[in-house]
Amino acid sequence: MAMVSAVSSDSGPSQPRLPGTPGKPAGKPVRSRVVLAMEGVTKSYPNGKVALRGVDLVVPEGDFVFLVGPSGAGKSTIIKLLIRDEMATKGVVLLDGRDLARLKRKEVPRIRRKIGIVFQDFKLLPHKSVRENVAFALEVTGAPRRSIGPVVDRVLRVVGLTGQADQLPGQLSGGEQQRTAIARALVHNPRLFIADEPTGNLDPLISWEIIQLLLRINELGVTVLMATHNAEVVTALRKRVVALEDGRVVRDQTEAAYHRED
Amino acid sequence: MIAFVAFSLRRAWQGLWHNRLMSVAATATMVLMLALLSGLIILLTGLDATLKYVEQEVQVVAYLKDSANPQDVNLLETALGQMPQVTEVSYVSKDQALTDFLGRHPDEAEVVNSLPTNPLPASLQINLRDPNDYLDVAAYLRNQPPVDRVLNIKQTVDQMVTVIGILRAGGIGVLVVVGLIVLFIIVNTIRLAVVSRADEIEIMRLVGASDAFIRWPFIFEGALVGLFGALITIAVLWLGQGPITTVMADYFKVLPVEASATVGRDVALVVLGTGVGIGVLGSYLSIRSYLIR
Repeated sequence: MAMVSAVSSDSGPSQPRLPGTPGKPAGKPVRSRVVLAMEGVTKSYPNGKVALRGVDLVVPEGDFVFLVGPSGAGKSTIIKLLIRDEMATKGVVLLDGRDLARLKRKEVPRIRRKIGIVFQDFKLLPHKSVRENVAFALEVTGAPRRSIGPVVDRVLRVVGLTGQADQLPGQLSGGEQQRTAIARALVHNPRLFIADEPTGNLDPLISWEIIQLLLRINELGVTVLMATHNAEVVTALRKRVVALEDGRVVRDQTEAAYHRED
Repeated sequence: MIAFVAFSLRRAWQGLWHNRLMSVAATATMVLMLALLSGLIILLTGLDATLKYVEQEVQVVAYLKDSANPQDVNLLETALGQMPQVTEVSYVSKDQALTDFLGRHPDEAEVVNSLPTNPLPASLQINLRDPNDYLDVAAYLRNQPPVDRVLNIKQTVDQMVTVIGILRAGGIGVLVVVGLIVLFIIVNTIRLAVVSRADEIEIMRLVGASDAFIRWPFIFEGALVGLFGALITIAVLWLGQGPITTVMADYFKVLPVEASATVGRDVALVVLGTGVGIGVLGSYLSIRSYLIR
């Protein structure tokens, strides 16, 4: 794939959206536009475990945010709340201006299409080719069949997998599998890109490739939220870092490192 | 809408094909259970035919006085024929009764021939629509002048009515129980097939597929499993039709009943309906827990 030089630019919002996105002239949006806002969010489970305690988090459009913290600190819970797999026990979660607690059942799939999400384990369908895996996300959301091909080609170009489009996941390296998952997450032009430990199964070199790709996606105007344990990557990039501990936000710093530096 | 149905059918077919093992397992379970169900239905149909025949065989026998006026007997026969409880009345003359008796007991011929006169009375044999009407008809007959006495088989009839009732209820009970077991097993097999694809469902949810797009392919898939299962079962039954008919014919030899005229068609319809219905129901129930809460 074409490598974008690493920390070239942090000015996401002024960049155009994904190539091929209709409408929306470049050079837009207002800085203050908020993609994600959590206010006083508490989540407790029926078994009494409290996963989040009064979390406040505001992510403006175009931001690149690392979500760090030890296992069990609440990173996964935040992601589950954002995709509305779970509901907050207390507090408000706003995604692109919509209160997730007030969504009707029917609206949930629509909100999910505003989020692109990838995981440590890729979650690809093993019997489908790269192209089919990506197209799947469009097919199951009712996209007209004719429109699917061009969109798939476009996102495969973005992640640099055009040449491997007809291979099965089993024939790909871990990095290529993750890029397939990223391509799939991009088909709906998401407002928010969530990466849950995306480099957890990858060796350091490949991990950097994936990070470069996420940076590029961010440059194209997509807000990125990445949960990770990868201290090296976080510290090197000097992006915004939100640190969780025991369900609380203990640090929210821009241009920060993985660990507290003062 | 058409695009959606086409999509669902295509996905259902893909689902069946990519998960051949589970599909075959589910279909095989379906075939076994449907075969069990249809076997039971065939058996119960036979039992029911037998019971109907036995019921028809309940006869009221009225012995006539030797002195009875033939005209009175004729009138009585006509009157009986017009009673709603009666299906058939036949007159058995003294000579006929003797012939019948000798036919049944050839050894007694000498004794009978040594008698000066025919000791057997003429009789009216009355077939009833419902054995429960026995007492009414018997009471009516006792008050008729040509009638000498009415053969008292009240106890026998009562017992038979009870036994038939128990057999009917028991048969329906067994059918219901087996039906529920079949439902349970098939629903669980389909649930296994669905659970084995939890990953796929999770991906669908994550990329923002609506409930309908997740649910309907699985429901079509369940319907297809049901359809295949039913067709295979019907084919097996059709192939086994020869041997089954032979057995049934042996069994029903004594009965003047058309036992298997519509049984085949009824069983096929039941198998088809049950197969597709349970397939759909099983998928619906299994997929429900994966949809948006």
